[in-house]
Amino acid sequence: MFSTVEKIYINDNWINEYKVTFTDGTLSTVPHDENNRHYLKIVEWAAIDGNNITDPGE
Amino acid sequence: MSSIIKVNTVQDADGNNIINESGDVITVGASGDTVTVAGNVVKSNALQASDGGNVVSQSGTTITVGASGDTVALASGASQTGFGSNPFKNIVINGDMRVAQRATSAASITSDDYYTIDRFVTEIGSFGTWTQSQVSDAPTGQGYTYALKMDCTTAQGSPGSGNVMLIGQSIEGSMLQAIKQGTANAESTTLSFWHKHTKTGTNIVELLDADNTNAVSGSYTQSVSDTWEKATITFPANTSGAYGNDSARSLRIRFIIGSGTDYTSGTLATTWQTSITNANRYAGQVNNADSTSNNFIITGVQYEVGTSATDFEFLPLDIQTQRCERYYETSMTYGSYGQYAGQQPIAGVGSSTYGGSTSSAGGRQFRTWKRASPTVTLYHQDGTSGGIYRIHDAQKTTGNVASHINQNGFLFATKSSGFNSGYYYYYGYTAESEL
Repeated sequence: MFSTVEKIYINDNWINEYKVTFTDGTLSTVPHDENNRHYLKIVEWAAIDGNNITDPGE
Repeated sequence: MSSIIKVNTVQDADGNNIINESGDVITVGASGDTVTVAGNVVKSNALQASDGGNVVSQSGTTITVGASGDTVALASGASQTGFGSNPFKNIVINGDMRVAQRATSAASITSDDYYTIDRFVTEIGSFGTWTQSQVSDAPTGQGYTYALKMDCTTAQGSPGSGNVMLIGQSIEGSMLQAIKQGTANAESTTLSFWHKHTKTGTNIVELLDADNTNAVSGSYTQSVSDTWEKATITFPANTSGAYGNDSARSLRIRFIIGSGTDYTSGTLATTWQTSITNANRYAGQVNNADSTSNNFIITGVQYEVGTSATDFEFLPLDIQTQRCERYYETSMTYGSYGQYAGQQPIAGVGSSTYGGSTSSAGGRQFRTWKRASPTVTLYHQDGTSGGIYRIHDAQKTTGNVASHINQNGFLFATKSSGFNSGYYYYYGYTAESEL
């Protein structure tokens, strides 16, 4: 479902949102919210070996 | 032997009229009298007021209350039951398939997603390839204009045993409280809809309780190929497990299109399963994916409390659209992902964000409050996601995302650099908080 997932930082603070690129190339923002279905998909995606959430703050 | 007494008036001992005839008018009783009838012998096609206007009349099976020009009112303190007493009775949103913000047609469908008609999801696991469309095809004389059509373009005649394909709608728990599920007063519910499938035979609809992992199934039959037929399925009340009164997914209404044998090898579970046996969920389901000639079409989907299907609830389009927008909205023309269609630009003045590490243009308030914080996508006028158009020199910046999203909007269109103070930008957006 996702090609990339990256935490969004503003002024060095993670704002609890992810910049995601879906496999069809669509670029979107997904909130860190268990009521958001795409966030739940991110959790599933990140649990698969080889998939990583990029964290520019690290 | 019989006798006939001819009089114009029958009076009591006090000289007051009991029955009087004047011309063709027969009067029973006199002013101030109370006239009672012992028993239930009242047969009439019309009950009239003193001015001769109908109060209640019957013609054939049609009963009319009042007459032209009358005002029919309830007495103060009286209550009303029956018709008109339960607005928004249809728990399914967009059941007549009118609103299709994303697209009116989507081809090459092989995976789960929302594609065309609002609120209806497609779930498909290795079950051929399909085109989904909002079609102007509906049962004649029922008030519908549109239907949801699934057209099989690559067949799957031998699905894997664990594979399932369906279209369905997920419902928030807060929308289900009238069912009173999980209490002693739990209600039966009824699903009604029109179907037109190429494949004849049995199809299954499942209610899957996502809060309590309960499920119940019902079946209907397509008797004549490619012909509109109406289905009504009443599901029993479930006194086990309440729906959460919140905005999370509590119920999934699932129209099965095809299923592997893992779900069909048992006996259909028409009572609630509190411990789900997969083999009993879709027993009897035909495979609507076994030929590229097959279409699977539905409309007029209504799910309501009670044991009978009432007339479909047609909502005003503005209300129906707003209900859909709780889950998805676009700032662009329906089905378009660019700004070439003449819609108003959504403008924001670019500036550096405080601290300087990020630059931003202004965000937007949504038209409709969302179910939950939505996924937001920005669009350049040429349809590029993440793209924004700078007005004064037509520069296209890419890689932008919405930030600081909540149910009511988002604060910025953001990029680490790319916006310049004082310039004007515009973009379109979609916001999605489906279940």
